[in-house]
Amino acid sequence: QQVITGTIRDVTGASMPGVNVLIKGTASGTSTDVEGKFSVQAQPDDVLVISFIGYQTREITVGQQTTIDVSLEEDLTTLGEVVVVGYGTQKKVLNTGANLQVKGEDISKLSTTNALQALQGQTPGVQISSLSGQPGSGMRVVIRGMGTNNGSGPLYVVDGVLTGDINYLNPNDIESITVLKDAASAAIYGSQSANGVILVTTKGASKGKSHITFDSFIGVQNVARKVDMLDAQEYATIMNEAAVNSNKLPYFTNDEIAALGKGTDWMDEMFVDNASTQNYSLSASGNSENSWYSTSIGYTLQEGVVGGRSLSNYERYNFRINSEHKLYKDIVKVGQNLTLSYVKNKGVGVGNQYNNSLRGAFNTSPFVPMYDAEGNYFDNSNSEWNNGEANPYATMVYGNQNNNLSQKVLGNLFAEISPLKSVKFRSTLGLEYNTHESNSFTPEYKLSIYTFNDVSRASQSMGRYTSLQWDNLLTYGFDVKEHHFDVMAGSSAIQIRALGLSATNASLIFNNLEQAWISTAMNRDGTRITPLTGGPDDDVLENRLSFFGRLNYNLGETYLFNATFRADGSSKFASNQRWGYFPSVSAGWVISNEDFLAATSAWMNSLKIRASWGQVGNQRVRSFQYIAPIQFSNVNYSFGDKEGTLTGGGYPNRLPNPALGWETSEQTNIGFDAKFLSGKLNVNFDWYMKKTKDLIIAAPILATAGADEPFINGGDVTNKGIEVALAYTSSVGELNYTVSVNGAYNQNKVGVIPNADGIIHGQTNQLFDNSGEFYRMENGRPIGYFWGLKTDGLFQTEEEVNNYLSGEGKKIQPDAQPGDVRYVDRNNDGEINDQDRTLIGNPNPDLTYGFSISANYKGFDLSIQANGVAGNQIVQSYRNMANPLGNYTSAILDRWHGPGSSNKIPRVTEDNRNWTTFSDLYIHDGDFLRISNITLGYDLARVAPKGLLGQARLYASVLNAFTFTKYEGMDPEVGYGIDTRENGVLVDAMSQGVDLGFYPRTRTYLIGLNVKF
Amino acid sequence: CSDFLDKEPVVIASDVNFYKTPEDAYKALVGAYDGLQGVWANGMALPIATEVMSDNTFGGTGNADGFGYQMIDEFDKSRSTADQNIFQANWIAYYAALYRCNVLIGKMDQIEWGTKEELRPIYEAETRFLRAYMYFDMVRLWGNIPLLTAPSRDNIPQADPDAVYAVIAEDLTYAAANLPATTYASQPVSQRGRVTKWAAEALLARAYLYYTGYYGKTELAGITKAQALAYVEDVIANSGHDLVDDFFKLWPAASIEEYAGEDNKETIFAVKYTYTSDYNGNTDGNHWMVMYGMRDQFSFPYGNGWGGATVNPKLWNAYDANDTRRGASIISISAEDIDYEHEAKQREYTGYYNKKYAPMVDEEGNSVAVENGAVNFMIGQFQDYVSIRYADVLLMAAELGSANAQAYFDKVRQRAFKTNFVQVAVSQENILKERQLEFALEGIRYWDLLRQGVPTAAAIIAETTTVKNGGIATTKTITASKIELTKGLQQIPTNQINLSSNVLKQNAGW
Repeated sequence: QQVITGTIRDVTGASMPGVNVLIKGTASGTSTDVEGKFSVQAQPDDVLVISFIGYQTREITVGQQTTIDVSLEEDLTTLGEVVVVGYGTQKKVLNTGANLQVKGEDISKLSTTNALQALQGQTPGVQISSLSGQPGSGMRVVIRGMGTNNGSGPLYVVDGVLTGDINYLNPNDIESITVLKDAASAAIYGSQSANGVILVTTKGASKGKSHITFDSFIGVQNVARKVDMLDAQEYATIMNEAAVNSNKLPYFTNDEIAALGKGTDWMDEMFVDNASTQNYSLSASGNSENSWYSTSIGYTLQEGVVGGRSLSNYERYNFRINSEHKLYKDIVKVGQNLTLSYVKNKGVGVGNQYNNSLRGAFNTSPFVPMYDAEGNYFDNSNSEWNNGEANPYATMVYGNQNNNLSQKVLGNLFAEISPLKSVKFRSTLGLEYNTHESNSFTPEYKLSIYTFNDVSRASQSMGRYTSLQWDNLLTYGFDVKEHHFDVMAGSSAIQIRALGLSATNASLIFNNLEQAWISTAMNRDGTRITPLTGGPDDDVLENRLSFFGRLNYNLGETYLFNATFRADGSSKFASNQRWGYFPSVSAGWVISNEDFLAATSAWMNSLKIRASWGQVGNQRVRSFQYIAPIQFSNVNYSFGDKEGTLTGGGYPNRLPNPALGWETSEQTNIGFDAKFLSGKLNVNFDWYMKKTKDLIIAAPILATAGADEPFINGGDVTNKGIEVALAYTSSVGELNYTVSVNGAYNQNKVGVIPNADGIIHGQTNQLFDNSGEFYRMENGRPIGYFWGLKTDGLFQTEEEVNNYLSGEGKKIQPDAQPGDVRYVDRNNDGEINDQDRTLIGNPNPDLTYGFSISANYKGFDLSIQANGVAGNQIVQSYRNMANPLGNYTSAILDRWHGPGSSNKIPRVTEDNRNWTTFSDLYIHDGDFLRISNITLGYDLARVAPKGLLGQARLYASVLNAFTFTKYEGMDPEVGYGIDTRENGVLVDAMSQGVDLGFYPRTRTYLIGLNVKF
Repeated sequence: CSDFLDKEPVVIASDVNFYKTPEDAYKALVGAYDGLQGVWANGMALPIATEVMSDNTFGGTGNADGFGYQMIDEFDKSRSTADQNIFQANWIAYYAALYRCNVLIGKMDQIEWGTKEELRPIYEAETRFLRAYMYFDMVRLWGNIPLLTAPSRDNIPQADPDAVYAVIAEDLTYAAANLPATTYASQPVSQRGRVTKWAAEALLARAYLYYTGYYGKTELAGITKAQALAYVEDVIANSGHDLVDDFFKLWPAASIEEYAGEDNKETIFAVKYTYTSDYNGNTDGNHWMVMYGMRDQFSFPYGNGWGGATVNPKLWNAYDANDTRRGASIISISAEDIDYEHEAKQREYTGYYNKKYAPMVDEEGNSVAVENGAVNFMIGQFQDYVSIRYADVLLMAAELGSANAQAYFDKVRQRAFKTNFVQVAVSQENILKERQLEFALEGIRYWDLLRQGVPTAAAIIAETTTVKNGGIATTKTITASKIELTKGLQQIPTNQINLSSNVLKQNAGW
């Protein structure tokens, strides 16, 4: 016997406390102290087994050594051994649901400012797309297909606190993100989880004694692709042709056109080059016998490429502190997780056609100059060509003077009592507290006869949102022979309140944004102080009470069973509809543990088959839909002779529906997880069928009812699909590499919409002025499908027009001329009207996929990340077809201009007759494959003196490096849809893939540094 | 536990705790007026649609716009087959406003009037007038409409027009009987715009004339011609209303300095507007007047607009050169020497625009509405729609056979011609001719045509002429047969027919 001492470190050189050091074949051994040191008695022929969860176990024969220092490497094959589930964690091998865990470092290494963006392509069945490319803009997240028109975003749970988005988080603070996709995994969150759940855990205890890490990157962003618009000469030529086609004389002579030059390229004017993006994050963590802590501060800056930093900009400060302390042995623990964010941003319009700053660049002719002789933005009011068009850059500058601040505190305090090792009681008080404040400034200006402002204005708004959550959990694990049981019971109470205040006033003392506040507005005329509103927001007021439980059972880790149940009660609903009940069951069988599969162990290392069923709910609807509210705001009449004097009134504006209840989503999932080739190849497969029933919809009702439609339960949407993920990890010499591929196929179909015409209509006026309905939700069709006329090429000759006859010999398009579109008369009644409209495009992709390659060789590391979609369509509407003089993209150069010249793009006319009716001319395939990230890094610590640095990795990345697509817009990843919000609550969100001039995702080149001490 | 879930809204009142006090009732009454104010905020406004349908104007609008206005003008759905819901916004808004009226009428018993019992018949009378006013618009425009006198979510088929007129007559009779006989001068200025006894009586006569004319009846739900006459004679004898001394003073754009003002003594009833409309839900403005502005060009004092409802030169030519109403009613591009440069953007250009409802600008070209604080010139127009003028009461009394018919007729014409007045004998034919000139572009002409019978109206409206579309001379044809086919009625919104599972039936010709 001799005394062996040593220190255990990780690859970064940090000491690792709590590592088990055992003598093989015996029960004797020890574990390392807080400095990673151990001391053990052993024989020379003993073998020390050094193990720690998540690390490769090392076995070392003692021999003549008395000092054994070991560095442990992380074990890639057992990564995710423990997975985060709702209200707890679970050994991965025992998990029977369809969920997916992404490690924080796989997110932060992609150098995005937004954690969700980094998830793109990593998780099959989770479609993530940008709502716009504006810095700070959110993401549209759809898990396993859109199931509702009522807001399809998932529930986010950050450190156990339920919240609505994670945009505020510093990606560096994330330990892991778990996506719960199937109902059995999500059902523990009951009424909140119909669209799936994204669980985020922020960083906790570090391995080893203490760490300081510093991560930063700095980069430049540019527009990956601009749309090519007509220059002045091309524009004049097309305008001439449109005039001639409209039986008018051309506007310009050839000499005039020749003298025009290129004119203003508005695309170039709108975008800035080399917009900066930066991120700095400093974190520290440490632990002692009784406590651990993890803290960080972070700063992120991203400038917008549209208009640059003064108009489109995002700055975020983050602070986080997580800690845990043992108060009394291992019996009483307390701790807290707390993240704070402070966001300062400015933005240009990225909304609908009236609130989209880029759109002006598509519609303004190249004739309008940027500046006048004095260097001011050009006032086009006296233009002889078109005094109604305005410098779109100046319009953007004048119309988007705003500063927005928001603060968020999200976190919890908890106490845990564990009187017995197998019994744990945990009580958690969670908080989400958001405040926002913003001010905006509209100067006096004049740019055209329609684009002007005669009196300066300031607007100001403030608000807060508070969600308090109190959770109590009791867990108990026990064994009965080989049968292992884990039971959990819990309750949760949530209280949500919000308050807002906003006002606008005119005639400012100062002429700049920073001094544009209500108190610097001189106007005292009451009618201009508008809107002036403030008060609690009853639409989101809610108290919610929940009780839930879970049973996990396994027999020898081979036969697995899991059941959950949750009851949710909400004050949103009338007392008789208040409670919803959400059960789930799932089972798994680890077949590879069976003896009869022993023969396959040479090539198949594990195989688990899983099946699950569950019901989850959705209650995203404004509160108090069961009463008929009296509306007082905006209800005025102007009695008397004095203009602007209003008398207030009221009326019941909505029909009540006391029967309104929960929306339910029922999902069945069957899948398997397998490992082949000594664990090098990992395969996950899932099949699911998700049916969302009793949709909470604002069902159109007959106008004669007289009030706004009540929300009702009715209708269903089915999503069916499969998901596959493959990952192969191997090494060649010192080259380690992983290749992973995933894909998901989904089919979306609306079942029954419970009103007479079976349709929820889309909105009008969205694509251009006075445009009609173009998307809808209808029985038997995909949700939000594009509804319009089919075309059948162009009429090439007069004869073709005359020969285009209905069955009864009636001319179908008697007014058409050669070069006009031939619409398909689907019902063959000799007329082109709404009855001929049909599905002409589906915004829901059939396939979403991603792949990644990562490799390291000595100190070098390389990773490539890609994602894509296929089978979806995009509606592109850049041009306001109500305006004959708007500019065109250069695609119009391929228009019809004589028989045979085109069968696709119709002739140009001044009345835009071929475009005023929505048809498949607007539809474009949205398939794309994007290489979203290429990163090459090198760890300088390898060449630095040993022990000085744990890591000093320098890297360079390209974000959004290449996009392969046939879509000729600026960006095929169009998350924008016609979302209608009332008081911030989504009430209609069934559409997507609508490109009205989409703020594109930038291409970013950056360099970064990760340092660990 | 359950206490925790029993939460009441903090700032939302509900129909359970509202409609309790006379103050609540007044708020609900204002809500009903607000409903009327909004019926033309979107869709196609009746004051314009009726002028387009009549022989006074063409469809007009921008040269790149859809052809909905042409479809209305020519009663020809093939002009714009996709426009199947052109009046849907109005259909919805009318029923929404009727709902407010019906709810309030149904809650009259629930309200604790206390010492203010005398308010009840007044509020009820005002509400019923508003209901009658809107039903009268609707039944004239669509002919066949669902009739609700209490709120209902049922899928209600279209009513026989007689039933609708019976409600109109009953409501107006009630209003005339229950509103106090306050003279114009003694009504507080701050209350102007509220429904008066005189408005109810005048509207009753209008309804009588239309119903008996269009449907060929002799009585309106029991109201005889003599009774109808008695109502308007009462207005003439007792209301204190009178003509404004100069015709041009009635119209802001015709009388910049001398405008008689809104709620002047000639106004029997007006839909009131002001400039506080915004995009946050306030619809207080005259959203339709911008349609009448010249396409894309202002010329002091006339503001720019969308060039809708271009005035038919026939109307200009119908006036005697000595008639002061011609220049007060119509903007003549040539006569006023306006340099109109945007024919290229104007459809159905005629050289004439509506002056009575012209948006206005100051000498620098700034919108008068915006200078007053409006969000913009499109929704910020604030000129009231004067629905019933005292001149109309005089001419209706004459037409209904008043003993003073010649005097009433002369009174209207004397104002128009001033010193050039020459008496013309009063007759049905001459009254109708005079009505076109007096009420041109005020949304009255079309109904005056239809009440002469559809064939007569069709023959007068039908026309083949030349207009300029985008500066190009184009033939314009309105055929009588289309008007006869549709009976002069407009299309029921197709979406509403679909929503009703075809319980609603489309009108002939649409």
